[in-house]
Amino acid sequence: MAASGHSPAITMNGGQKLAMKYFTVAIALFGAQCLFGMLAGIQYLHPDFLFGILDFSINRMLHINAMIVWLLFGFIGSVYWLLEDEAGVPIVGLPLAKLIFWVFTLAVVVVVLVFLLVQIGPGKQSTIWLITEGREYIEAPRWADIGIVVCVLAFFYNVAATFARGRFTHIGGVLVMDLVALAGIYLAGMFYTPNISMDQHWWWWVIHLWVEATWEVLVGCLMAYGLIKTMGVRRQIVETWLYIEVALMFGSGILGLGHHYFWIGTPEYWFTIGGFFSALEPIPLVAMVVHAVFDAGHHKLKSANNPALAWIIAQAFGNFFGAGVWGFMHTLPQINLYTHGTQWTASHGHLAFFGAYATMVIAFLYIALQKWRGNVWMGGNLVGAWKWKWAIFLLHAGMITMVMAMLISGYEQSQIERAIEGSTWMGYFAAQGHRWFLQGMYWRQIGGWVFSAGFVLLAWDLLTIGKRETRSALQVPGE
Amino acid sequence: MLEPVKLANFFIVFFSAAAVILFGATYALIFAWSRIKARPGLMPLAYVAYMGLFISVLVLAFAAHLFHNELWSFIVLLMLAGYLIAPHAIWHLCIGTHAETEAAPSLNISQQH
Amino acid sequence: MSETQALWWASTSFWRKTAIWVTAGSFVVLIFLTFDTVKQITAGGKRVPAYSVINQRIDYKFDEKRNFQVPVIGPEEPLFGKKVTEAEAEALVSHGKLTTQAKNCMDCHTLLGNGAYFAPDLTKAWLDPSWGAKETREQTMVEFLVHPELAAHNPLGRRMPNLKITEEEARATVAFLKWMSSIDTNGFPANFKPIDQSNAPTPAAAQP
Repeated sequence: MAASGHSPAITMNGGQKLAMKYFTVAIALFGAQCLFGMLAGIQYLHPDFLFGILDFSINRMLHINAMIVWLLFGFIGSVYWLLEDEAGVPIVGLPLAKLIFWVFTLAVVVVVLVFLLVQIGPGKQSTIWLITEGREYIEAPRWADIGIVVCVLAFFYNVAATFARGRFTHIGGVLVMDLVALAGIYLAGMFYTPNISMDQHWWWWVIHLWVEATWEVLVGCLMAYGLIKTMGVRRQIVETWLYIEVALMFGSGILGLGHHYFWIGTPEYWFTIGGFFSALEPIPLVAMVVHAVFDAGHHKLKSANNPALAWIIAQAFGNFFGAGVWGFMHTLPQINLYTHGTQWTASHGHLAFFGAYATMVIAFLYIALQKWRGNVWMGGNLVGAWKWKWAIFLLHAGMITMVMAMLISGYEQSQIERAIEGSTWMGYFAAQGHRWFLQGMYWRQIGGWVFSAGFVLLAWDLLTIGKRETRSALQVPGE
Repeated sequence: MLEPVKLANFFIVFFSAAAVILFGATYALIFAWSRIKARPGLMPLAYVAYMGLFISVLVLAFAAHLFHNELWSFIVLLMLAGYLIAPHAIWHLCIGTHAETEAAPSLNISQQH
Repeated sequence: MSETQALWWASTSFWRKTAIWVTAGSFVVLIFLTFDTVKQITAGGKRVPAYSVINQRIDYKFDEKRNFQVPVIGPEEPLFGKKVTEAEAEALVSHGKLTTQAKNCMDCHTLLGNGAYFAPDLTKAWLDPSWGAKETREQTMVEFLVHPELAAHNPLGRRMPNLKITEEEARATVAFLKWMSSIDTNGFPANFKPIDQSNAPTPAAAQP
């Protein structure tokens, strides 16, 4: 690790320069996610807002797709960031990697433009191939699906071949296997069937096995690298714990798929399987609590990068509350019968995605920026530290406001719409017009404004942090 | 057979389910804290948190009719046992994984058991 | 400082093997369950009826033994008064399903409870009492789908936009919704109050 050199060009390796490109697109898409989320939120309060121009369905689709893609770009960027360092050799196919970045970004731009300008098509196969697939989270048309798989495979090739040429660390091994699963699982969503039960059965393979299994392990790899690099935790310990986490996460997560198979036409045995593995899913979280306390007492933690450390701590809490507490509150089928498909799900989704994934990518951005700005000081008394502190505060205050508001709306909805009125059209609107629901949506919007303000501050901070800093970074005794 | 939660018990179910996870984490937290700081006086507090978890699991189980069915009863028992043992097991794992190449005496964590 | 004293249960290699076995084991179990589930949810089975079920009356009634509401296939009641073969039914339902995807229904509505939460759940839309009488239901649904922006939906002012659904697509969508209402969803949605489909003309149905 070269400590000096104020020009980034001297110290950054090829993968890291490429990573900065991915991070830039990721942050732009994070902004798009905020924007379209706000528009969709306003439509709950003022249904005529942009009616017939940019309808709720379009805003909502862009809101959730921007999230998936920005997190994916953040993950890919993070992996390119650590790749050469971890493998000990330059990336095998850097020109290919650069080409793929531009292809991927261009594809995203085209898909977004088609979503915005064409929006919908006739009920034909051509619509699915060219405009939208119309399936939540994976609305991208089929041509883009194929493009995504090609991009992920090229990415996989680069990662696997680079590790193969250099040293295949345990982190590298887990990462490569995880990427195989990531690409393979996506194929499960790439077919058309008139049978909606079959459709959703395989659709959950993509959504659940990405979000609640392979993404978690990917984040585990990033976290493992981050712990070694920024806090100097011994590699062997980190890698053993990575395997422990993989065992716990895949052990509870793969068959945890069952908790999505309660109501879509799938057999009743999924009730007990889903319930059983949902009861297990908090175990990895308990393990992390014990281990974190152990580590905090064991090592004298010296942070060389305060913003990154703050976001890693935020990830621990966010993951615990979003996935653990919010997940378990409504996951048993005995209660999920009434909460399924209400604002409950939205409340859980917001907190879990932000808490488990957005926080981790942001933490990694700060790790990367520290080096990008010339390995500058990011400990205490950092110049302009108020920005990252206020950004983290506003983003969390906004998120918590949104999540609590949707929780109250969802609670009312589960009672009036689902339990009493039995989910009829009348029941739905009776619940949507209820005072608790309307006030929930109002507060959700306020939370959205606060969150968006936090995003603006975060983006500003990412653009400027460390620029006026002249001290060099605190050296962490690595490995 | 599934017996859905009664309308009047919705809040109890949400609340007790959240309490299960929160007490579980509190138990794990105090347990680990007591061990790492070598303060056995804190340990009873950890078990108070576990009692909270125990009660929450039972409340959840009754409100969601989990004892009306063998499979669900088994899951309840498994949770009670699993959450009790997990922090102990993870603790031993922490010591085991960290002790491998390090000199142990700096910490007197294994003395109290 | 020696590696040899390492506890076997705390070693990297032990946990590496455990991670591999746990992952592989879970995946194998999932594959077996998937084979069984896919067999059970293939159209034409008990849980997911054949597409030609649109030729019959579909109801949603409480089942004492299973302790929740289940779809009940009733006497012949062809959609739009025209009985179709299995192949015709599949083509019609498929066209309807394609339409729901092409119009992005799932980003406002939920289908089988999955989707967005801006508009009502469509799982039992075919049986919704809001369509009025069962005799006029099909036509009401088609008219609504073709020009949803004109219909009064609710006191909130929230409306469905005009999605350029053709009459043909609307009829196919209705077929898809009717077929979807016949899927055994383990009692979701609970406590649903279906439209009156008894043969005796009800007072409401007698009105034009």
